[in-house]
Formats: sequence, C-alpha cells, structure tokens
Amino acid sequence: MNLILAANPFTPGQTGTPEAVLFWILAPLAVLAAVSMIFVKKAVHSALLLAWVMITLAIFYIAEDAPFLGIVQIVVYTGAVMMLFLFILMLVGVDSSDSLVETIKGQRVMAMIGALGFAVLLIGAIGRSYTGFAGLTAANTDGNVEGLAQLLFTRYVWAFEVVSALLITAALGAMVLGHRERSSERPTQRELSILRFRPGSKLPGAPLPNPGVYALHNAVDVPALLPDGTPDPSSVSRVLKARGDVLDTKAFEMHTIEEGEDESK
Amino acid sequence: MEATHALASGTSSLLVWLIALPALGATILLLAGRRSDKWGHLLATALSGASFVVGLVELFKMLSRDGETRGVSQHLFTWINAGSFNVEAGLLLDQLSICFVLLITGVGTLIHVYSIAYMEHDHDRRRFFSYLNLFIAAMLLLVLGDSFLNLYVGWEGVGLASYLLIGFWNQKPAYATAAKKAFVVNRIGDMGLSFAIMIAFTAFGTVSFQGVANHAGPEHKQIMTWMGLALLLAAAGKSAQFPLQSWLGDAMAGPTPVSALIHAATMVTAGVYLITRSNFVFDSAPTAQLMVVIVGVVTLLFGALIGTAKDDIKKALAASTMSQIGYMVLAAGLGPAGYAFAIMHLLTHGFFKASMFLGAGSVMHGMNDEVDMRKFGRLRLAMPITYITFGLGYLAIIGVPPFSGFFSKDKIIEAAFNAGGPRGWIIGFAALLGAAITAFYMTRVMVLTFFGQKRWADEAHPHESPKLMTAPIIILSIGSIAAGALFAFGSSLQHWLEPVVARGFVEGEPALQPIVVSIMALVAVALGVALAYIKYVRVPVEAVAPTNVSIWTRFARRDLLQDAFNEAVFMRPGQYLTRALSFFDRKVVDGAVNGTGALFGGLSVRVRRVQTGYVRTYALLILVGAALILAAMLAARI
Amino acid sequence: MNFVAPVINYSQVLPILIVLGTALLGVIVEAFVARDRRYQIQVPLSIAGLVVAFVWILKIHATTAITAESAVAIDGPALVLQGAIVILGIAGLLLIAERKLDSSGDAFVAQAAAIPGSEAERTATLAKLTQTEVFPLTLFAIAGMMLFPAANDLVTMFVALEVLSLPLYLMSGLARRRRLLSQEAALKYFLLGAFSSAFFLYGAAFLYGYSGSVGFRQIREAIQTNAGNDVFLLTGIALVSVGLLFKVSAVPFHSWTPDVYQGAPTPVTAFMAACTKIAAFGAFARLFYVGLSGARWDWRPMLTVIAIATMVLGALWALTQTDIKRMLAYSSVAHSGFILTGIVATNKAGLSGTLFYLVTYGFTTIGAFAIVTLVRNASGEATHISGYAGLGKRSPWIAMLLSLFLLALAGIPLTSGFVAKFAVFSAAYESGSTVLVIFGVLTSAIAAFFYIRLIVLMFFQDPEEDGPTVAAAPLMTTAAIALCATVTLVLGILPNSLVHVIDAASRFVF
Repeated sequence: MNLILAANPFTPGQTGTPEAVLFWILAPLAVLAAVSMIFVKKAVHSALLLAWVMITLAIFYIAEDAPFLGIVQIVVYTGAVMMLFLFILMLVGVDSSDSLVETIKGQRVMAMIGALGFAVLLIGAIGRSYTGFAGLTAANTDGNVEGLAQLLFTRYVWAFEVVSALLITAALGAMVLGHRERSSERPTQRELSILRFRPGSKLPGAPLPNPGVYALHNAVDVPALLPDGTPDPSSVSRVLKARGDVLDTKAFEMHTIEEGEDESK
Repeated sequence: MEATHALASGTSSLLVWLIALPALGATILLLAGRRSDKWGHLLATALSGASFVVGLVELFKMLSRDGETRGVSQHLFTWINAGSFNVEAGLLLDQLSICFVLLITGVGTLIHVYSIAYMEHDHDRRRFFSYLNLFIAAMLLLVLGDSFLNLYVGWEGVGLASYLLIGFWNQKPAYATAAKKAFVVNRIGDMGLSFAIMIAFTAFGTVSFQGVANHAGPEHKQIMTWMGLALLLAAAGKSAQFPLQSWLGDAMAGPTPVSALIHAATMVTAGVYLITRSNFVFDSAPTAQLMVVIVGVVTLLFGALIGTAKDDIKKALAASTMSQIGYMVLAAGLGPAGYAFAIMHLLTHGFFKASMFLGAGSVMHGMNDEVDMRKFGRLRLAMPITYITFGLGYLAIIGVPPFSGFFSKDKIIEAAFNAGGPRGWIIGFAALLGAAITAFYMTRVMVLTFFGQKRWADEAHPHESPKLMTAPIIILSIGSIAAGALFAFGSSLQHWLEPVVARGFVEGEPALQPIVVSIMALVAVALGVALAYIKYVRVPVEAVAPTNVSIWTRFARRDLLQDAFNEAVFMRPGQYLTRALSFFDRKVVDGAVNGTGALFGGLSVRVRRVQTGYVRTYALLILVGAALILAAMLAARI
Repeated sequence: MNFVAPVINYSQVLPILIVLGTALLGVIVEAFVARDRRYQIQVPLSIAGLVVAFVWILKIHATTAITAESAVAIDGPALVLQGAIVILGIAGLLLIAERKLDSSGDAFVAQAAAIPGSEAERTATLAKLTQTEVFPLTLFAIAGMMLFPAANDLVTMFVALEVLSLPLYLMSGLARRRRLLSQEAALKYFLLGAFSSAFFLYGAAFLYGYSGSVGFRQIREAIQTNAGNDVFLLTGIALVSVGLLFKVSAVPFHSWTPDVYQGAPTPVTAFMAACTKIAAFGAFARLFYVGLSGARWDWRPMLTVIAIATMVLGALWALTQTDIKRMLAYSSVAHSGFILTGIVATNKAGLSGTLFYLVTYGFTTIGAFAIVTLVRNASGEATHISGYAGLGKRSPWIAMLLSLFLLALAGIPLTSGFVAKFAVFSAAYESGSTVLVIFGVLTSAIAAFFYIRLIVLMFFQDPEEDGPTVAAAPLMTTAAIALCATVTLVLGILPNSLVHVIDAASRFVF
C-alpha cells in the first residue's frame, strides 16, 4: 500500500520530491528484477535477484517512515533467509536449473491474460478511487518501533504467541523431512576398502584423479587423462561442468601417444 | 373436497408393531448370520404372520367405528424440528392403508410359507427370508407413513429390498445387470418423488398428507399440477408404467416368490397407492390427471402387446402385470370416480397374479427351472393342483364372471366409458381392446403350458410341488375366486374407501348402462380367447420359437424396442456427458494436456499418474478465479 | 507511552492451549524418549490431551465472550465447531495411530528423508522405523483448526490458517506407499496453499485500508457507517474470499483437492477432509456473518455463483472418477457447494444449518476414508473402484458401513446427510435463494448417482479374481468407524437433540 502511496505523485503534501525521485529510480528496477527472477535459468541468479527486490523494498519501507520494518526486511529476509537459501543452493549444487520449456499448451498465454487482467483490475480500481490512507501519523506518534512493540505485545499478543506454534511446526517438519537417522553403523575405512576391491565393484580402486593430471594443461577446468590417454570427465568438479566452464579436452590430449605404437594400451 | 377434513381422528399405539415385527425379523436374521440358518425362515414367517394378525386386529377395531372416524394415527417421534422446518415421524392407518396392510401381510405371509419349500435347497435361504421381512417392513412403512417424507423412506426401503431380491442370485451376471437396471430406472422415478416433496415443502411448508391436503383446491392449481406430474413420474418408476416400464421384465430374474410378492402383488402397485393417496393433489390438477390416464392407457396396451410375444412364462406374466397396473393407473387417473376401482383391481390382481406367479414357480420347480413355455405342454396331467389353481387365476385375469377379475376390470372399463365426451369413448375402447389382448395372451400361456402335446425334454420329470407350496397357492386362488364379488357386492369397497378418496363425490349419469359394458367386455374376451384357440390349439406349437415371424411379433419380442428407446434417450446422452466430462477432466483439469500424455494416455494408469496435474495449471486456475471474483465484486463500481 | 498489559481470559482459550501444550509435550517426547517407546507414549498422550480439551469445551459451553484483546471470540459457533474438531481429531488420530493394517508399520513412511526407491528407504523400512512426529504435528493442526473459527481478526485468522495448514502440508507427503505421488501432492498443496495465502493477506491489507483495523467488529462498524473507500472493501472481500475458498476447496480453487486427497496417507486425508472443512467454514461464517455482514448484498451474488459452480462441477467430475479417494475428493468439493448454500443464506437458519452440516459431514467423511484404509491388496490400499466390486459378498459388514456413509453423503433419508442437506436448503430457500435450492436439489440427484453406483458395485457385482481383501478391522480403526457410524445413524434418525444444541448456539458474538 505504501508503494501505491509513493506511486501517486499527484497527491499533494504527502510525497516529497526526493522520495519521488527515489521511488521512480528504484521501483522500475525492482519490477525488472522481480520479472527477470522468474525468467533466468539458474537458481542462484534467481536468488540474487530476489535479494535485490527485497533490499529495494526495505529502502522503500524506510523512506515511508517504517524504519523497523525496513531493517527487519534487510536483516531477516535479505540477510538470513536469502543467504541461507544461497547456501543451500551451493550445497545442492548450482548446476540445478529448471527447464523453462513450457509443455502445456496455452499455459503461458492464459497466465499472461490472467495476470494482466488481475493487474488491470487492481490498478484500475485503486487508481480511480484512491483518496489516501489514514493513520500513519497516529501510528507513529510514539515512534515507529515503540508503536509496533505496543501493538505486538497488546493487541496482537495472541497472534504473536500462536506464531510460535508455526515455528515449532516448521522446525519439526524440517527435522522430519531432512534428518536421516542411520539405521546401521557408518562403514569404516577398512570396510570401504574391502568393498572397493571386491569383484564386480563399481567403485574405483584408487582415488579419483585430480583435474589436470597427465594433461598438457593442469588447470582445474581441464579433465585428467587416464593412463590410456582418454580424458576422465569425473575428474572435474560438476559445478564447473554445470557452469559450462570445462574446457574441451581434445586440444590437450597427448596426440603422440594416441598415434604412436599400441604398446601402452 | 373438504379442505378441513382430518385424515385421522383417533390414535392407536399398535401401528408401530405392524412395521416393527418384520423389521425385527430382518434385523435378527441379518445379525445372527449363519447361526440362524436352522430356524431363520420359521421366525421370519411367524413374524410376518404376527404382523398380519395385528392388521386384522386393527381392521376389527376400525369396523367398530363409524365411517368418518375410522382413521387412526400414531405419533412416533419428532424427526426434525428446526424452526420453520418440522417433520414428525408418524403413522396413519385409514380405510385405504388397511387394505394394503392386509394385502401385504396376508399375501406376504403366504409367500413366506411358499418360499420355505421353494428355497429349500438354497444355502442362502436365511438371507432370502431376511430380505423378505425387510421388504414387508418397508412396504408397510410406505403405506402407513403419514407424510410424503415418511412414505419416501418406505419407498426407498422397498426399492432396496427389491434390488437385493432381484439380484439375490447375483452370481449370474445377467441377474446382477437386471438388478442394476431396476435400480437405475427406479432412481429416475425416485427423483420425481423427491421433487414432489420439495415442491410441497417449498409451496406449503409442510410435507404431511394432512398439511398438503389442507392446501388443496383450485387456488393452487399450478403447484398441484407440477406436484402431480412429479408424483406421476415416481409412480411410473415404481409401478413400471410407460416410459419407465423396462425394468419389470428383467426383474423376473429374481426368485419366483419375489416376483409374486414384489413384482406382482405389492411393490409395483405402490405407484397406484401413491396416486390414490395423493388424490387431493390430482383432484386439484386436471392436467396431471389427464397425464395419469394417458400413461395408464399406453401402458395397458403396451404391456398386453408385449405379453403376446413372450415365451418365458415369467416374462409373459410380468408383461401382464404391467398391463393390469396400467388399468389401475387409468382408473386412478379418472379421479374420485375411479380410485375405489383402482384399489379394487389392485386387491383382486394381488390375489390372482400372486397365485399365477406361484403357479409358474411351481411349474418351474417341477421342470428343473425351465421357463420357456414352448418346452412345456400337457402339464395338466403332471401337476393337477397347479393346473387348477393357475386356471382359476387365468379365468380371473381375463375377466370371466364370477371370478374376481371380472368385477374389478369391468368397473374400470365402465368408469372409463363414463369419463365423458370423446375422451371417455377413446379410453373406454382402449380398455376393451386391452381386455381382448389380455384374453388372447393369457389363453396362449395357459394352452402352451398345460395343454397340447408334451414338448419337454426327456430328462425332465414334471411332478407336483410339495404341500407347503401348493397350500398358499390354493388359499390365494380362493381369494381370486371370491374377492371380486366380495368387494363389488353392494359396492362395499367403494363405500369403505369413500371417506378417504371420494368425499362428497356424486356419480353422474353413466354414458353406457353397466350391463352393456359387461357384455362388450365379455365379447372382447371371447374374441381374444377364440383367436388364441385358433392359433395355438388348432396348430401344433413348435418347441423352438419360430424365427420367420412378422415384424410385429419381432417388435413385441423385443419389448416394443423399449430398451433401444431407453438407450437412445437416457443412456447415450448420459454416456456422452460422462465421456465429455472425463475428457475435460483429463485434458483441462488434470492438466494432462501434455502431448505425450495424450499419446500414451492408454499405456497404463501409472503413466497417467505422472502426467496428472501440473501445479502451475492449478495456480493459473486460482489466479483466473481470483481475477473473476475481483471483476465480479468490482463490476458495479468500475 | 504507557504499556497496559493485555488481558487474556485463559479459561476461554484453554482448549486451544491444552492442545498446543500437548503438542509441545509430544515434541519433547520426540526429543528425549527412546525411539521404540515413543509410540506408546505419543498415542495416549495425544488422545488424553484432546479428551481433556473436549471436557473443557463442555465446561465452558455457555461462554459468549471476546477475549485475548479481541483476537479470539469464544461463542456458540466457535465452541460447537471446536468440539466437533476435537472429537473428529480423536477419530483421525486413531486412524493415524493404526499399526495393525500395514504389515510393515503404519500408514506413514519409515523415514521421510530417505529418497523414494533408494537403498536407504529399504533399510529404514526393514529396520521398522516409524515417524512418530505425526502425532505432535496432528495436534498442532488441530490447535490451528480450533483457533481458525474462533479468530476474531484477520491477523489471528491468518496465523491460524497457517498453523493448521503447515502440518497438513507436511503430513500429506509422508505416505508409506506410492511415495512419489504423496510427495507430489504435498508439494502441490504447499505451493498452492502459499499462493492462496498470499491472496488472503493481500485482501486483509485492503480490508485494513478500508476500515483502519483488522478486527471484525471495526470492519463491521466501518461498513455500517459507510466510512471508508468502497473499492477497498470490495477488493478486500474478493481477495480474502480467494484464500478461504481455497481452503474449503470451492470451484475454481479446488484443483488441489483430488490430487492431495489421493496422494496423502489415507488417515491424513480423512482427518483433513473432515476437520479442515469444519475449521475453514467456521472461519468463513464468522468473517462473512460478523465482519462483512453489512456488505452482504455485495458478496452474496458472488458466493451464490461459486456455490452453484462448486456443487455442479464437483458432482459432475466425481461421476467420472475411478479412484475412490479421488471420487471422495470431488464429492467433498460438491459438499463445499452445499455448505456454501447455507452460508449464502445469511440468516440464523443458514448458520445453524451450516454448523449441523459440518458436524455430520465430518463424521461421515472420516468414516468413509477409514473404510478405504481397510480395503487392501499386496501393495497397500486398493483405491481403484473396481476393487470394491463384490465387497458386499466378502465382507458384508464393511460394505454395509461404507454404504451407510455413502448414503449419508448422498443425503438419503434416515441418515444424517439428509437432515443436513434439508437444513441448508431450507435456509437458502427462506432467504430467497430459490435458484440455489433448485441447483442444490438437482446436484444432489446427480451426486446420489455416483455414491449409489459404488453401492451397486459392492453388492451386485462379482468380486475380481485377485481383487483386494478387507483387513480384519483392528481395534483403533474399528473404534473410529464405530463412532462415525453411530453418529451418522443417530443424527439421521434422531437429529433433534443436536439440532437444538446447534440452534441455541447459532449466535455469533461481536
């Protein structure tokens, strides 16, 4: 709602020029970021764009005399939630990206129409009837933070307390979905070794080669060459592969061996 | 009609026992399970008989009172009492319902006795008896309920019992299909009854007979017409009247005692009861009454025509039931002039048709469950008692004096002629024509079964049925001899029912003298019998149905294409609707619009599962819904 | 600035607090008790908590008050619905706690963190692990459901909505069999739930913008004095409705229902189908009867159309289903339409009819789903309708009970469903919504068809050769089914006592 308030520069006496300038610079950027968040391919980019949107909103809140909300927005959402989100993405692997090919016929078109219709209705209705919001000054008489505190611990104390149930549920849920209890002992190194050399084992007997080993080039993005001269893709981090940063191995393979006598094979 | 007339003036605390006794029997037998296999049938028969005794007690008590104060009621409990909506569960026993009570419990008990022997070798005999008791209880509730809603409960109850009994031998798929068909067709009729209840409640705020009767009169003609049509639909469903008649023939799949009790004597006449009970509705709605007459006439001819071509003895009898109920509906549609005759024919029909069905059952019993009449013949020597009783029933149904059918059918034909104007002549002659066809096909049944050459297979050894089976038949055929004269003598039944159905009705000048009608009816019957004699006695009957028959015979054999009609009118559109919906469901709602999904849709359920339901489609639906709601709310303001 | 301590009448909110407290105890049990003893503690603890809560509800049954700084309204409708939710919660818990049906444990996955089909899943199953966390989760959901119809402002209502939803999202994904389907259902439910919650919040903001408060009384007064900007009010009503209509699965916000009902473990489906509907309609009624009653001429047409669409489409779609859980899901959609009929009536009869409908519907639904848990084959529940063919022959009792529940859902006389339908329809008629009544009656006829089709299938068809068998009903499931069947039958034959209780209770406090 505050957005709308700022968005209406024709209401006299409420929006100062600096605020309007701020808004008209940041708001289009925020919208742009929000839209591209949906359209970029990689989850990391989406997360960063979302963080951008949230910071912009925080700036708006502060500009609208709601400093507490603005700070909380930055600390909690941008600071904690989004960063946690990024960490998780890193853990899961940045290579996770969704296919953006739409397989459902008409889905996109209908979504556009629906969203546009909804937006037009809202903008039209609000734009035609907006007369101002009441109560900001009254709410902020004792200061924004104090006013909020007062409300949280009196009028909304019940809701505030009940939210704790929500948080416990969330924690419990995270445990249920994420926590895996070992039903057996963790295999020892010895057992693992025995497992490796058992006939039919798919695990390599020796440690995996590092990137660059035996190659003509020993950077991390060059796959190692196996003793027979073929490149081993598993030697390069899959993050690099996902980013498309793995170099073509062909150029670095040892042609001499491949073209020479077959002794080594 | 006097709007203030009270249906019941006194109370009786016995009424509930009429229903409770058989209901108790059904409960005990169902709960006790196999443990009651030894004595279950005896208990059921005893309880049904006890209910009959209670009915007799009530009858004598009723006889000791005067005409206007004969009706009694019993308040059971307040079913629903929520502000404006108030339904009492109560019973009402008046001159009309006592007829039914005695018919149901009397014939019912006889059929219980008969079934003890008939079902002796069936290892599920106990279950059969519990269903029979359930039926008796439900049917009594139907005729004793004091409101349309209570009647509806009994109505559904007899429906349930009927499906259970039709499908009793449901290990045979055809029988289960027959049960289902009866079920579906009856649902259409039931919808009519629920509409009628809704109309009554909406218009008058009450669903009791008394409450609706208080509103009867020309000022509510429109409402009464709609209600009457809805009730007619209900009656057509239950009583196998056109266009909902198709289930009755298939319902013969059930054990024969069931056909006798439910599909000949009692349940199928519930429609006639409903129309007669709702006389105050129809008397205020001439259009609905006319529709009743039309339905009755169409069905009586329809059923008779089907009857001429059936080789299955039970199906032939079923067709004749349909036709005879057509007579009753026709009479009921004639208003106060006909109600009493409708009930009279109903009662006499209950006797002679039940006795004939039991006779057919006896024949089947002796012939290894053969039902094809072309494989019978000359059975009069093998089963004399069955032959005699069946013959008495035959004389009754075709209307030979002094058997009961003569009196009741004659009265209906007479009332039809007296309906006045060209209408009277048309329906009168239709009824006469029906009588002639009835004589024809019943003679055919009689001749094919009991006369002519023996055509049965060598391994069949026809023999007379045990006494437990023949005794009820004998009692019933005594009824089919005497009942008509008893009811018709001095118009006793007419006067008995007058306070309920024909208050203040004065008979007009008849269009034809009764004796003239009687003579015409007898001539028609004689023609029918003669034609059958020429066709089936003079010419030897083939054991296999001839195929080079006229198109009319073929037409009649296929039940005048009623199934084809149903399929085209009810089933196909339903199927298309279902198919379209399922298509919509799959393609749009489930979001399985994925091209591959459509291609491999038939692969397996599992594939469809994977393709089912994209969350983004659902979200889109929500968004569009929200936009529509928003638009609707804001429509007035923008 | 001086701080005045908030006043909370703890006695009046005690039932909610008891349930929440029991849930917390359950969490502590999860943390500190050895794995194999948790079940023995959780089940009696949860049920005891609910029983005590119910006793307390009975104790305060005559309360009509607003408490907790007017965040919570404890009045007749709230107490009736809370009582129903607690009792149905017990029935649901009994089903959830059932461990005799599945040879490898209960209806829940051995270890939710194990990937479906993986080695880890196999070892967890073999080790007979179980997730006893479902008990505190269920209790949290019940607490949220109890608060939902008692919430007296939009913020509390939103919090309650989330408290009740979050555990359900979670539990939907925990099915032991067909886990992918279950997880898919949970994710769908979660995403769509969040989506619709956003609409609710947005609408709440608009209502705040209109009246300057989120309290129902203040919104009511603002409407009476015509104080604010009409467009805000209407937009607010529209968007808040979206959130609530989603929860009651009204068309076009129903699409999650069949997928989630089908995918979730059947005991959870039973629990949420009954209790969520009660809670959500309770909240719906309070918001529209208390907060927005002054604007009824604006929202009635909208809700009328939605009610008709919900009834008709729900019943039609149910016709084509071949999976019993999906069929019951669509039937639940249709029932939402019937209940909306009572809400649209906006009179006292409408309120009492809605309450009565909710109570009866809850019992019938849990009963029906409880029977679904009994019909099983080697791979778990046999939910395909063809598996029900000939059930009447193999287990007449189960088939009869299921028929009872189906007949009640169809609204056949002598079952509770009939009385309920009659109550809402007559209320709607009284309020002049004849169109709704006509559609309602017609739809009931269509709906009766697919319920009865199943009954016909059970009694008139031969069982499949290798069809599913009916498990000998174990104690807890039997108790739940017996409770539901008794209530369904008693309320059908002698509904008067409950009708009077509800009639007397049908007054909102504001």
